[in-house]
Amino acid sequence: MDLIDFIKNLASVFEDTNPSNLTPETRFRDIEGWSSLIALSIIAMADEVYGVKLKGDDIRKAITVQDLYEIIKSRI
Amino acid sequence: MKTIIEKYNVTLMRLTEDKIEMVRKWRNDPKIVQYMNYKEYITPEMQQKWFQRINNNNNYFFIIIYDKKEIGLINIRDIDYEKKEGEGGIFIYDDEYLDSDVPFRAALCLTDFCFEELCLKKIKAHILNNNKRAIEFNTFLGFKIAENQENVKNQLYTLIPDDYYIIRDKIIKLF
Repeated sequence: MDLIDFIKNLASVFEDTNPSNLTPETRFRDIEGWSSLIALSIIAMADEVYGVKLKGDDIRKAITVQDLYEIIKSRI
Repeated sequence: MKTIIEKYNVTLMRLTEDKIEMVRKWRNDPKIVQYMNYKEYITPEMQQKWFQRINNNNNYFFIIIYDKKEIGLINIRDIDYEKKEGEGGIFIYDDEYLDSDVPFRAALCLTDFCFEELCLKKIKAHILNNNKRAIEFNTFLGFKIAENQENVKNQLYTLIPDDYYIIRDKIIKLF
């Protein structure tokens, strides 16, 4: 699992978000358009792309893009 | 009268009189008021009258409980058992759970109750046309905008079981 690819996949979940605007330190809840639907879409993305079951609690505990990446990576 | 629903890891507890002051405080908070059609300040007396009006089988208001915390309110109100339809609504007061999977859990819990226990055939929802999040949320659940709503501020959306179950089964797999 590659962090750059993960950032691209994460950016694709958001409407109008360029992956180049995201860094590992980005606080993903601060990205414009963050919503319950985006949270659910990240869970779906983790499942479809990485085969990882992400829980709502995982997203609530994570703060940055890197945090999310580490959680998913640890479950592959 | 159904008083508690537990499903999808969320609990819906029917609104009781001892909780209406908490709900009134939530409802008067500007972060909630901004998305409500009725924006006037609600007094304790108004809340009490409102509760007397809705505490019956034509209205089901539930406190949403997650992680043992009371986080918001969800409802099906103005139920017409002849037409088999009612008006849905939800707000999440606790910011920790606002933009999470929990609103979907609560919505599925209530919608199942509406279609499977109340045997409704249609759920209506009015959404302010500037409430992009709510529009996306409801559309994702299968709600469709009614006809001739383009120039309406508080737009009518409707959900029927066939549209809902397709979406519900996809969402459940993510929980």
